[in-house]
This record gives sequence, structure tokens and C-alpha cells, in this order.
Amino acid sequence: MSESAERVLLIEDNPGDADFVRDQLAQEYVDADVTHVDRLSEGLQFLSEKGPGLVLLDLNLPDSQGAETYRRVLDNAPNVPVVILSGQQDEELAIRAVHQGVQDYLVKGEFDSKKLARAMRYARERQALLTSLQMSRQQQLQFKDQFLSHVSHELRTPLTSIHQFVTILLDGLAGPIQGEQREYLEIILRGVNQLRAMIGDLLEATRAEGSKLRLEPRCLSLEELVQQVVLLFQNSAADAKIHLRTEVERHLPFAYADPDRMLQVFTNLMDNALKFTAPGGTVTLRAHTVAADAEFAYISVSDTGCGISPEAKPLIFERMYQEDSSIDRSKKGLGLGLYITRHLVRLHGGRIWVESEQGQGSTFTFTVPLFSLPKLLLPLITENGRLRDAVSLIDVMLAPLPTETARQCWKETQRRCTEVLQRCIQPTKDVVLPSRGGSTEGDTFFIVASTARQGAAILSKRICDQLEGCPPIKLNSSWKLEIRPVPLPSEENSLDHLVRQVAEQITSMIRLTIQQNKETGCATGDHE
Amino acid sequence: MGRAKILIVEDDEDFRRSLNVRLRAQNYDTVFAGDAFAAIAAATKEKPQVILLDLGLPAGDGFVVMERLQKNAALACVPVIVITCREPWKNRERALKAGACAFFQKPPDNYELMAAIRNILAPQNNGHNDADPTLLTEQATP
Repeated sequence: MSESAERVLLIEDNPGDADFVRDQLAQEYVDADVTHVDRLSEGLQFLSEKGPGLVLLDLNLPDSQGAETYRRVLDNAPNVPVVILSGQQDEELAIRAVHQGVQDYLVKGEFDSKKLARAMRYARERQALLTSLQMSRQQQLQFKDQFLSHVSHELRTPLTSIHQFVTILLDGLAGPIQGEQREYLEIILRGVNQLRAMIGDLLEATRAEGSKLRLEPRCLSLEELVQQVVLLFQNSAADAKIHLRTEVERHLPFAYADPDRMLQVFTNLMDNALKFTAPGGTVTLRAHTVAADAEFAYISVSDTGCGISPEAKPLIFERMYQEDSSIDRSKKGLGLGLYITRHLVRLHGGRIWVESEQGQGSTFTFTVPLFSLPKLLLPLITENGRLRDAVSLIDVMLAPLPTETARQCWKETQRRCTEVLQRCIQPTKDVVLPSRGGSTEGDTFFIVASTARQGAAILSKRICDQLEGCPPIKLNSSWKLEIRPVPLPSEENSLDHLVRQVAEQITSMIRLTIQQNKETGCATGDHE
Repeated sequence: MGRAKILIVEDDEDFRRSLNVRLRAQNYDTVFAGDAFAAIAAATKEKPQVILLDLGLPAGDGFVVMERLQKNAALACVPVIVITCREPWKNRERALKAGACAFFQKPPDNYELMAAIRNILAPQNNGHNDADPTLLTEQATP
């Protein structure tokens, strides 16, 4: 049987095997157009330039071995069907490859021209089907995004009416209400707040899809974060008769992450853990480091709940996925929680995964990057790879005015201050260090500037002018600036080493400030 | 000075009414406008101390209103609080740049909203933070 011309790329380093495949192809196809290369690199180049109709791929090549070989082909040409030519000893690997996107495999020495042609035909058909599926899925996603954006916006208007008037009644602005009435109104308000959270989730998921989420990372104490989570959930855990346990490594280093987003990740995981755990069960929060992965902290939430079925495991991080199991309807959300969670973790550069046995509970683990001052100090290195001649540390101590409104707007004021500082500096030379979040009494921001005292004074003046010119800051806070030159290491050392020395120097200066502030009761970035 | 006057620029009648109930309960006077055009006219005529502004409005949106307020010497300094259904990540920063001093998404937290208004109207907020730039160490507030 002859078929129409087929443009085949044969990647095979064994000349005997290559000749055999060519012969078999010639028997089946009158005008087979076969390009043969014996290196993966050449194959990838051909793929990017010519885009063949199909790839016949040997896995063990001089420049790539095993799974790596097919992964790189799939990454480079996701829409070209691939058939693996495997040796008898690596048939298992070939099967795994088929699960990961390769269309078929043939075992060398066990196929003839007929089998080869059939494998190629099916591979092409499956690939075409897959491509059209992906396209329609993409269109669906796009439509869903537009639809969700529109719907959630429209939902807010009636929701706002309900919220506004229920709160007016509850606040007694339309006359006094009695006990039972209050109780029912509070039930309505709870429902409104649940709806509001769901609408927020909808949009969050849409944003995640379009990578519109922004992070404001700062230096974050994971111990405090875990404590905050426990405080937040201890009542609902007690109500559900579930024990909360924490296992936090002593002296855990600071993470570099957005505190609000991290709390959101925790909240989503805790919500799930409590939802799927029966009374009498336990939910455990763990935070620790792993020697083999020094740049990350590992955080996990384990439950003793019903666990996740093997079929569901690969799906739970997808959006709109909900397991139909025994969870009662009043606890249901939109099935977006884990999807958003994974997105937030990835946005921080971390990973998230789940380990679970059905009936044995589940453990969700995610990683968060640890705070590293030397990494942040990159702007202190000149274009020609040398340390700057002078470095200054500017402390900006910000405190809320002693008014109720200033206290209420404090978080916003802090946020604004960070924005102002970012605007004032030259990002190629200066760094605003991530804040520790401060306390309700005040917050100290630290700027590392590549300049001597005089330049730092000019920068300080600019900062004062800008703070002065920003009404929300001016109306709600007072501030104080201080400049200190950072002593630089003089000895000739590797740049890496020098930067680390500067980082240590700055760390000790910051510690001193925090210590002094604590003693004088001034604005402090620390609340230990 | 008597009671502070607040201009509510909002085309949704229910929401306008709910704000009115709350603001009156706090002893503020209220005036209304239902579109961008009427907003400027009302601001000029009524001279409010604060403007609560929706973004989605007929006859030009809230950004158009803020732009016109900014261009008018007599109105440029009236503080504006934006309250909208629109998403904060797209509109918050834009609104603040356009001259708003606060941004709330609907449904707003009414306690925070009232606090923001009180804060703007508070008499002690009339220019502190006199930092002397010639000093390296500055104490901003008396």
C-alpha cells in the first residue's frame, strides 16, 4: 500500500538501524521524503527550520540520553507527532514517553514496513485530534475568561444593594431591630460575604490565567505567618472538633514573599484540610528547611481526612475541579481554590504538590524562596563587575499619627510609603529593602544607596518632598530619616565574598536600628 | 463652619440611597449627581468638601470627571473618593494617579469608608510634617 508523500525526520545514530528504517519507509511510501540526522541538536535545528510531518526518534543519541531526548523534542515541536524507535531494554521508558505526549513507539527488530506505516498513520491522526482539541479548549478558556469578568462585574451591583441595606438595618440606621431579626439579618450578611468571596475567587482565577497578579514580596517570618494562620483557624477547627498542630523548625530563616498572598495560600489549604477532615481528626502545619534545597522553605498542611483518589490527583490543581465525594453542599465553593493557590506559589518561584492515600489523609506541600540579602544587593555591583565606591544606608522611620483614622489607614500608608520610596531611588544603583511589615506602632524602611553621605542627603530630601506631596501619607503619619555610611570591605576578595560582607555589615546596622528603636519605643520594623 | 457637604456622584439609585442614609446618620449634608456632566455642575454650584465618585457613569466615566475637576482651579483641591464595581488591580492605581485620595470596591466596607471621610475632614490634618531637608535627621511631626 502506498501513501502520499510523508516528510519524515529520522533521528538515529546507529547507521544500520537508520538504513533499515529508510528501506522500510521506501517500501511503503513511493516518494518518502526522509531527512536523517544522528545528533539531537541537528534534529532540533531541523525541527525549528523545516517543521517535518513526523519524527522517528531513537532515545539514546551521542548528545542526549533517555527521557531527556523526547522531552526536548516535545518542548521544541509540541505539534509534530513523534514515534520512538526503542531498544528492547528501554521499552518501559518508551511506554512512559507515550504517557507524556509521544504518540507511539516501535521496538527495534520487531517491526516491519507495515507496522511502521501503521504506527506513523495513527500517530499523525492522534496528533491532529489533539491539536484541534487544544485549539477548541483555548477558545473555550478565552470565552470563559471574558464571560467570568463580565458576570462578576454585573453580580456586584445587586450584591452591593443587599450588602448596603442589610448593614444599614444591622447598624440600626432604619430603627431598632430585635434579637431574632438581628439573627436572620446576620445570616443574610454571612451569605452576602460568602458570595462576595466567590466573586473575588472568580476574578482571581481569571487574573491568574492572564498572569495579571502582582506580588509585593517582603522579608517574612514564617513562624509568625504560621501563628497567624493558627489564630485565624483555631475557632473553626474547634467547632469542627479537629485538632490543630504545628511543627515549625527552630530558627527558621526569613522567607522572601508577599505576606497577603502567602496567607491566601495557607487559607486555601487550611479551608480544604478542615473541609475534608472528620471530627476527631488532626490538621498539622509544618514549616522547615531541606538541606538539599537551601534556597527554599518547605511548608505543608496535612490532614487525616478522606484522602484523594488516584484518578483525582492530577486534576485537583485544575480550575473548576471538585471531587463529588461526601462533602456537604454548604461547604462548597467554586473549585478555584487550589488552582489559584498553585498559581500564587508558582508566582513566588515555588512548587506545590500533594501526597495522598485514599482514606489516609492528604499532605499538601509548597516551597517558598528564602530571603537572601546578598541577592538583593545586586545594584551595588557596577557594570564592570566591581563593588561601588561608596554605600549608604538610609532609615526611613514611619509612624501613624495618634488618631483613630490614621491607625485604620496604617496599612495603606505603609504601602504608599513603599511606592514613594521605590519612585525616589534609582533602581540600577539603589535598593529599597523589603519591609518586615512593621507593627501598628510604626515601620522602618531601609534603603541601600550607592552613594556617599552627600548623595544620600540629596536622595533623603527627594524622599521627604515626595512623602510631603502624598496626601494619604502626609495626613496620617510622621516620619524621620537617618543616613549612615556603610563601611566597605577593603581587602581584595572575590566579588561574591565582598557583597556577602556588605550584606553582613548592613544586617548588623539594621539590627542595631531595630534594637535602638525598641528601646526608645520608636517606629520599629520588628515585633518580636 | 457648619455641617460638611458631600457630593455623591452615582447612577445607581439604590447605592446612592444607601450612602445617603449612612452619611446623614453621621451628620453630613448630601447632594447628588447621576452622570459626569451633572457632577461638574453640582461640584461648581454646591462646593462640597468631599466627592464620592463612581467610575461607570453615563456621559463620560469617573476618570473624565476627575480630569475636569483637576483642570478647574476652584475644584482641583476637593478630595475625591472612588467607589466602584470595577476591579481594583486595573483601576486603583489609575484612579489615585488621576487625583482620587482613596479607592473602594463595591460593596465597600462602610466603616472604612466613613473613617476615610472623617479623616479627610478632620481639622488637625492641615499640614504637618514640616521636614527640614537641610538636616540629616528629621523629625516630622511636633
